[in-house]
Amino acid sequence: MTRARRVLTIALILIVAGAPIAVVRVRAALDHAHELGKLVKCSCGGCEQSAGTCYHVGGAFSGPCDLAKTMIKEIQGHLDKGVSDDQVIKAMIAEYGPGAYVEPPKTGFGLVAWVMPSLYLFAGAVLVVFVIGRWRKRGVTAEAAAHDRATISPELLERARATARKATEE
Amino acid sequence: MDVFGSFALLLAFVCALYALLGGIAAILTRHPLLIKSARQAGIAACSLIFLATLSVVYLFVTDNFSMAYVASHSNRDLATFFKVVALWSGQEGSLLFWCFLLSVYIFSVLVAYRNKHGELMPYVGTILAGVQLFFLTITTFVANPFSVLAAAGPSGALEYITRPDGSGLRAVLQYPEMIIHPPNLYSGYTGFTIPFAFALAALLGRYPGEKWIHLTRRWTMIAWCFQTIGILLGAHWAYAVLGWGGYWGWDPVENASLLPWLTGTAFLHSVMMQEKRGMMKVWNVWLVFITFFLCILGTMLTRSGVVSSVHAFAQSNIGPWFVGFLIIIMTVCLAAYFKNRDYLKSENQLDSMVSRESSFLFNNLVLLVACVAVISGTLFPVFSEWFTGSKISVGAPFFNKVNIPLGLLLLFLTGVGPLLAWRKTSGESLRRNFLWPTVLGVVGGLAAFALGVHDFYALVCLLLCTFVAATIGLEFYRGAKVIHARSGMNWLSSAVELTLRNTRRYGGYIVHFGMVMIFVGLAGQAFNKEVQKEIPVGGTVKIGPYELLLQAMDQKQEKNFVAERMIVEVMHDHKPVMILFPERRNFPAGEESGTMVAIYSTMREDLYVVYAGVNQGSEVPTIHAFLNPLVKWVWFGGVVVVMGTIVALLPSRHAVLVLAGSKAPEASREFAGAVPSSVTLKEGHD
Repeated sequence: MTRARRVLTIALILIVAGAPIAVVRVRAALDHAHELGKLVKCSCGGCEQSAGTCYHVGGAFSGPCDLAKTMIKEIQGHLDKGVSDDQVIKAMIAEYGPGAYVEPPKTGFGLVAWVMPSLYLFAGAVLVVFVIGRWRKRGVTAEAAAHDRATISPELLERARATARKATEE
Repeated sequence: MDVFGSFALLLAFVCALYALLGGIAAILTRHPLLIKSARQAGIAACSLIFLATLSVVYLFVTDNFSMAYVASHSNRDLATFFKVVALWSGQEGSLLFWCFLLSVYIFSVLVAYRNKHGELMPYVGTILAGVQLFFLTITTFVANPFSVLAAAGPSGALEYITRPDGSGLRAVLQYPEMIIHPPNLYSGYTGFTIPFAFALAALLGRYPGEKWIHLTRRWTMIAWCFQTIGILLGAHWAYAVLGWGGYWGWDPVENASLLPWLTGTAFLHSVMMQEKRGMMKVWNVWLVFITFFLCILGTMLTRSGVVSSVHAFAQSNIGPWFVGFLIIIMTVCLAAYFKNRDYLKSENQLDSMVSRESSFLFNNLVLLVACVAVISGTLFPVFSEWFTGSKISVGAPFFNKVNIPLGLLLLFLTGVGPLLAWRKTSGESLRRNFLWPTVLGVVGGLAAFALGVHDFYALVCLLLCTFVAATIGLEFYRGAKVIHARSGMNWLSSAVELTLRNTRRYGGYIVHFGMVMIFVGLAGQAFNKEVQKEIPVGGTVKIGPYELLLQAMDQKQEKNFVAERMIVEVMHDHKPVMILFPERRNFPAGEESGTMVAIYSTMREDLYVVYAGVNQGSEVPTIHAFLNPLVKWVWFGGVVVVMGTIVALLPSRHAVLVLAGSKAPEASREFAGAVPSSVTLKEGHD
C-alpha cells in the first residue's frame, strides 16, 4: 500500500467513525421539571413508570395519567420556589413515601443495591486473577516435568500436536 | 374443535409422561425397544401439541366465543391476522405456544439424531420430555386455553354460554410486532432447552469428550439469535407504541429477557476455551444450566405477579408451579454435578495473563456481573419488602448507573479479545495489533470531544466503538490482503472469500461490529431532547432543527377502532420535509385507548411525535415531541448481529486438493503456489 493510499484509507475510516459523532454534538436543554419527574415514580398504580415517562399503558386511557401530571406540576412548583433538585426529590419522597424515588436510597438497606454490583465485579476479578495465576503455575510445572523426561512418548507427542492443531485451526 | 384440541393436549401430556418414564427405564435397562418407544412417544407428544395449537388458532379465527380464552382476547371486528396471533396474547395461549415452540425443537432433535449418538440420546430425550411435561402440566391442568364459559342456570346447575362478542385484543398488542416479537423471544427461551438437555445428558451419562459442545453449538447460536431478535423487536415495539420516547426502560420483563441472553453470550465465548484448550468444562456446563434456569425464572417473573411490569401477564396461580420446577432443575443439576464432577476435570494450563484465554475469562466475568446486577436490581423491591417491610423502587436510573460502566468494559474486551493470541501474546504482537486501533480510537475520542460530545460515558463509548471497529477492520484487512495477493481477487471478493473460509470467526466479527453499531446508538441517548406543549391548530412547536406545524385534527374510523389524530407538518430549516400522523386510538370492544407514535427516522436522528391528549379545560391538543439521535443505529446494528450469526452458522468453505489431469485455471495455479501442476485446487465445504 502506497503512502497516499494509506493516508486516504485512514481519512476514510476517520470520516466513517466521525459520522455518528457529528450527529450528537448538540446537548439538549430539557424541560427540567419533566427531567426530575423521571426520578419520581408515578404512584397511580396503573403503571410501573416514572411520572416523567408515565403513559399508563393498558388502562382505560393512554397518555400521562392525572397523577403523573399533578406530580410534574408539583415538581415545577418546587422549582419555581428556587429550591435545589435534591430538595425537590426529598419533598416528593416526603409526600409520596420512600417508594416514590426510582433509585434505591444510598443509606440503610438501599445501600446494598448500590454496593453489590461493585462487590461482585471486585470479587470476580480477584477470583479470575487467582485462577489464572493457578493455571499458569500448573502450566509451568507440567512443562518442567515434560522437560525433565529424556524421551517424549508418542501419545504425549500426538496430544501436543492435536492441541496445537486445535489452537491454530482458525 | 375445542374438545379435539383439549383431547390432543391431554394425550400429549400422557405421551410426554411416557417419554419421561419410559426414557428413565430405557436408561436403566438399555433395552433398545424401550429407547425407541420413549423416543416415539416424545415425537407423538410434539405432533399432538401441534394439533392442540392449531385448534386454538381455529377457535380464534372462527370467533368461538364460548371459549373463555377466545372471548377474553378477541372480538369479531379484529383483523384476521391479529386473531391468529391472539394465540399468544394471554397467559394460557402463550404457554401453549411456548409448548409448541419447544416441541418444534424437540421434534427436530429427536428426528435429526434418531440414529446417532446412541449413548447420549436416551438421556437427552428423557430430559427434554421432563421439560415438556412440566409445561404440558401447566397448560393441561393449571392454565388451560380450552376452558369454556359457563354460568349458573335457573336450576342452579352450570350451563355453557356463548358471548355474542369478545372483549378484544389489548390495545398495545394491536401492532405488527405482536406478530413476530413473541415467536422470536419464545424461540430464544425454549431454544436454550436443547443445550441444557445435551449438557445435563453428557454429565449424567459421563459421555466422553467435547461431543456435546460440538452438537449443541449451532442449537445454542440459533437460540441466542432468536433471543437477540426477540429483545430488539420488543424494544422497537415499546418504542413505537408506549410513547415515552425510549426503547429500553429496564422493566422487569425486559430484564427477564436479557438475563439468559447475557449468560448465553458468556457461554458462546467460553465454549471456545473448551474446544481449543480443553479448559473450563465445569464452568461451561454450569453456564448452560444457569442459562436455562434463567429462562424459566424469567418466565416465572413475567407470569406470576412477583414483580410488577407494564408488559407482564395478569397475576395468576402458576408461580408456585414454576418455583417447584426451578427447585427440581437446580436439584437435578447439583446432584448430577456432584455425582460426576470427576468427568469434568479440565486441563487448565495457562501460559500468560496476556492471552485470548484471559480475555475470555474477563469477558465472562463482566457478563456474569451484569447478569447478577440486573437480577438483583429486578428483585430488589421484593427483597427490600421482605427485609424492611417497605418496597424500595429500583428504576432505570439505577440500572443505567450500574450497567453502563459494565457495558463499556465489555465493549473494550470485544476489541481486545480477538487481537490476543491463544496461550501467550508477545510484546511485538501486541504492538502490531493494537497500534492502529488505539491510535484511531484516541483520534475518534478527540474528534468527538472537539465536536461537542462532553458527556463522559458517551465520549468513552464512541472512543471504544472506534477502537473496536478498527480492530475488526484490521482483522478483515489482514486476511483479505493475503487472499488478494495470492488470488488476484478484488478486495471485496477477498473479504467475502475470507469470511466464507472461516465463517465462525469472521461471522463472530460481524456480530461484534453489529454490537458496535448498537453501542453507537446507545451513546446517542445521552443527547435526547424532548418538548411537550399544548398547541392549537395552526400553532407550531420547535425541537432541534425541526419545526412542527399542527395543520389540523381529524378522525379516522377503522373496523376495530376509532383514531383521533394530529396532522403535523414537519419542517427542517423552514423547508417542508413530511407529514406525520400521531394518533390516539379508541378500541370500543375492550374500552381501551392506545397511542400510535409517528416517527420520522433517519440515520442521524429520530423525530418522535406523540399526540398526548387534549387539555380538558381549554380543549387544546397536547403534542409531545422527542428528538432521539442515532436510534436507527440500534436497529441496523441488530440486523448486522443477526446477519453475523447466520454467517457463523454456515459451514466453512475451504480449499481442498483434488487430483485431476485437466489443465488448471490461471487463478488456481497462481493460488496453488508450490502445488504440483498435476493437482488443481477446488472449493469444497466441510
